[in-house]
Amino acid sequence: MSEVYASPFFGIFLSIFAFEIGVWVNKKTKSAAANPLLIAVVICILVIKIFRIPIESYNVGGDLISVFLGPATAVLAIAVYSQFALLKKYFLPILLGTIVGSSVSIGSVYLLCKAFHLDDALSRSMLTKSVTTPFAIAISENIGGVPSVAVAAVVLTGILGAVFAPLLIRLFHVRNPVAAGVAIGTSSHAVGTSKAIELGETEGAMSGIAIGMAGIVTVIISLFL
Amino acid sequence: MKMMYQIGILFGVCLIGQTISVFLPIPFPGSVLSMIILFLLLYFRVIKVDHIRQKADFLLKNMAFFFIPAGIGILSSFDLIRSSILPLLTIIVVTTILTFGATALTVQGVITLQDKLARTGKGKGKSHE
Repeated sequence: MSEVYASPFFGIFLSIFAFEIGVWVNKKTKSAAANPLLIAVVICILVIKIFRIPIESYNVGGDLISVFLGPATAVLAIAVYSQFALLKKYFLPILLGTIVGSSVSIGSVYLLCKAFHLDDALSRSMLTKSVTTPFAIAISENIGGVPSVAVAAVVLTGILGAVFAPLLIRLFHVRNPVAAGVAIGTSSHAVGTSKAIELGETEGAMSGIAIGMAGIVTVIISLFL
Repeated sequence: MKMMYQIGILFGVCLIGQTISVFLPIPFPGSVLSMIILFLLLYFRVIKVDHIRQKADFLLKNMAFFFIPAGIGILSSFDLIRSSILPLLTIIVVTTILTFGATALTVQGVITLQDKLARTGKGKGKSHE
């Protein structure tokens, strides 16, 4: 059986199968909580645990899927390009929004980690939770965090952002799609952006811009930590 | 061959972005650099959106899918976070809501302020929507 798991087709097939179930459940229930990514991750983890499949075997195919994260992030440039007039017009609010947002993210994580008496390495791994994975890995290494924990925090934050973005938009009475997009990208990076694209082209483009800007702001703040 | 051409452009851009990120003195992801490079190529009309439209639409529409392996990666650090899983989840939930709210309200507030300044400056109302 292990020959089957070790094939790259196993990880790829399991992921597509789980994602299609997620998309199907999402369409049937029309609920934001039924997020296809969340459902897919849960199904895959259950399959891997129940059949005791080594994570390395899943990753043979999984790594091939991850390769496409680069191009998938890069093509956000098209959304940015077609919304460039809006970006120019609202450059100042977008810039200030990402600066305030990233500062609030780092500050509130720091204070809460203190309040919960978490150990130092764990706290430092949490500080980068709102930036996209490659930023988080690089920054957490620089400030003495544990990269694999940083990635876990990033992914959980992203899934949370994708699931609750529509709810948060209503909660904070965000009427401007530019503000909604920047908030999604700053708080929940590329995973949140996958939801922003579904909400609209403006939301998607602004969220895409915010990924880069929040990352840069966080890099700069981290130089002082 | 059209599809092959589109994939070629995108992977070429990613290769350049990745290469530049290796040589930068500060941590900056290749994928974000690739996004900036692709934007500049579009902006200066080196390539047209139509040159990469189908491949880009495929990637954007299915973006969430490509994060599945990263999500499953949580399994590998689970032993490290197991003992403090509840505080960690609480921190993630609370700070994500705070970050979202602070960002959205700042952007919306500055836009409102700019509109007001523009109105008093020019003496006439200018709506942005």
